[in-house]
Amino acid sequence: MKTLITLVLILYPLSFIKAQDASEIVKRANDKINGEESSYSEMKMTIIRPEWQRTLELKNWTKGTEYALSLITAPARDKGQSFLKRGSEMWNWNPTISRMIKLPPSMMSQGWMGSDYTNDDILKESSVVEDYTHEITGEDEIEGRLCYRIKMTAREDAPVIWGYQIRWIDKENYLFMKAELYDEDGYLVRTELGKNIKIMDGRLIPSVLELIPEDEEGYKTIVEIEEIKFNISIDDNFFSQQNLKRVR
Amino acid sequence: MKNYKMAWRNLWRNRRRTIITASSVLFAVFFALLMRSLQLGTYDSMYKNIIESYSGYIQVQDEEFWENKIVDNVFEDTEELRGDIIEDTNVEDVIPRFESFALASSGSRSKGVIVMGIDPQKEKLLSDVEDKLVKYRLTDEAISTIKSEDIPDYLVKNMDLFNGNSYSSDGSLQTDLGIKDKDVATLMPLFKKYAGVDNGYFSTGDNEVLVGDRLSQYLELVKGDTLILVGQAYHGHTAAGKYVIAGIVKIPNPDIENKIVYLPVDVCQNLYYANGMLTSMVVHLKDNNDDAIDNTMNRLASSLDSPYRVLGWKEMNETLVQQLDADNKSGIIMIGILYLVIAFGVFGTVLMMTAERRREFGVIIAIGMQKTKMAMVMVYEMLYIGLLGILAGVAIALPSIIYGYHHPIHFPSKFAKMWEDYGFEPVMAFQWIDKYFLSQSIVVAIIVLVAVIYPVVKIRKMKEVNALKA
Repeated sequence: MKTLITLVLILYPLSFIKAQDASEIVKRANDKINGEESSYSEMKMTIIRPEWQRTLELKNWTKGTEYALSLITAPARDKGQSFLKRGSEMWNWNPTISRMIKLPPSMMSQGWMGSDYTNDDILKESSVVEDYTHEITGEDEIEGRLCYRIKMTAREDAPVIWGYQIRWIDKENYLFMKAELYDEDGYLVRTELGKNIKIMDGRLIPSVLELIPEDEEGYKTIVEIEEIKFNISIDDNFFSQQNLKRVR
Repeated sequence: MKNYKMAWRNLWRNRRRTIITASSVLFAVFFALLMRSLQLGTYDSMYKNIIESYSGYIQVQDEEFWENKIVDNVFEDTEELRGDIIEDTNVEDVIPRFESFALASSGSRSKGVIVMGIDPQKEKLLSDVEDKLVKYRLTDEAISTIKSEDIPDYLVKNMDLFNGNSYSSDGSLQTDLGIKDKDVATLMPLFKKYAGVDNGYFSTGDNEVLVGDRLSQYLELVKGDTLILVGQAYHGHTAAGKYVIAGIVKIPNPDIENKIVYLPVDVCQNLYYANGMLTSMVVHLKDNNDDAIDNTMNRLASSLDSPYRVLGWKEMNETLVQQLDADNKSGIIMIGILYLVIAFGVFGTVLMMTAERRREFGVIIAIGMQKTKMAMVMVYEMLYIGLLGILAGVAIALPSIIYGYHHPIHFPSKFAKMWEDYGFEPVMAFQWIDKYFLSQSIVVAIIVLVAVIYPVVKIRKMKEVNALKA
């Protein structure tokens, strides 16, 4: 009996350590691409459909998980539209109609600007670190890199539209190489691929992210990071409704 | 003496009996006609409303659009395509449309709406939107001001009944309020002054919109206000625009009136980032009868292939067609029951007549008349009665139907609200004299002919000796 209790006491924290490990890996990978404190990036988003494709250019500012601001800079027709996230609230500013529109939570899972990205993906309402429990389920080789395979199950109270995700994170450099996102019923909804790994602002990161929805044939969205800066100094006031209208 | 002559004289030997039998036929015909006319007329006015204010009889669309009404399923508006359609002998013109959805907002209120880009001039051929601009609105304020003027008593009552209504023509205002011809000259200027609404139309290129009356009330809009439209445009672009309200329109179909916004088609294309594209072309026909529509549809469908699709009004208004079809079936069952009651009525009188005349038949046959001839006389008698009843029934029904056709029944306001909630115009119209007159008359004639079998059989089986003693 004594030995059994001892064994449990020894093993219990062990399982805990393992879970912590997985969370730690995800956190490191997440911090690496999003910046520990804040970030600024310029991106090009290409939306590919069977009959057409178009490209958007945008600028992004983020600070922690609380604040985010995105501004569209091209094409001319959509230029000047901006999106703001503060805590759990989101707004959209449209200069053609000079209107601020508050995005209801029900719109979080809808496509952003006609792409396969949801509003949630762009504004990072949910966090891959805090809103999931993590578990290492194995190792795989993705594009010649040895990766952890981590299963992330959404916490019950989290504002997440996925049931669970499986992410492959590079063991050596903590890069998000691949992710499969499943809905609550366990069906694969979307696959994300990290590509074109290179050094940007002193960090080795995948500079291209491909997003492939499962149920639509020939649909794809590609995001290319053109410029990125990590841990820039930026004031909380930057993420305000006033600035949403002014930001260039 | 000839059979028919004898039958005619027999009828008038007992006038009361003849008249009773004929009048049971008369009522059958009268009620059946009235019911049918009301039903068919109401269906017709519903179809006309939706077809002429919205769908048109035939449309050409992109083949994907009907199943999936997104702005990506549009087609290019080319001269060549227009030419191909106009070439058809029954086609008068094509009317371009750009139809989509958007969120309309004004102040703090917003609502999902149908956005309809129309050609301001060509659209006059079909849903004449300019003609539907609201001219008068009976607001509480307007009514109380007009009441304080010197007006006839009947108007005071009627104005309360139609409180809140709006009108797009002098005629409909006068009909609703029951304004007498002699009062028109004195009363209309009053309405123009106190209840008149100033509305304008738009032309190609104007950054202006027309909105449905109910929608304008919900969004609290009047002429000159700004309406904001936001939605998704062609290929995932953002559709967003600010427009000035040029006018407010009254659409007969309340469901559409609740959510329609009209724009000039080029402005609409610009909003949806789809210049030179259309969601549909409404084909305006020279001849609108059912056969002509079907023939034109078949010709167009065979000359326009992928990516185009030709749709008929039945396909485009499937729910309404099914709804009215179901209602029509229940109407036919009602008429069936009516006929059953009438059939037994007619049969009852025939039964009594046969019993009454048993001795008479016996005597006539005893003095040498052939049974066959006797039976033929009976058939003629019944035919005369049937004919008399049908003619009288039609004669009585005609004036009511003609009156009803010109003066459709408007529901009292509390029922009207319920009908409008279902998306129907609260009006019961009568159908003009048509095929249904013939079919109703034929059914009644058949009933009479069936009823005559009884006396004929009775005569043939008659034993003269027994009949004489009756």
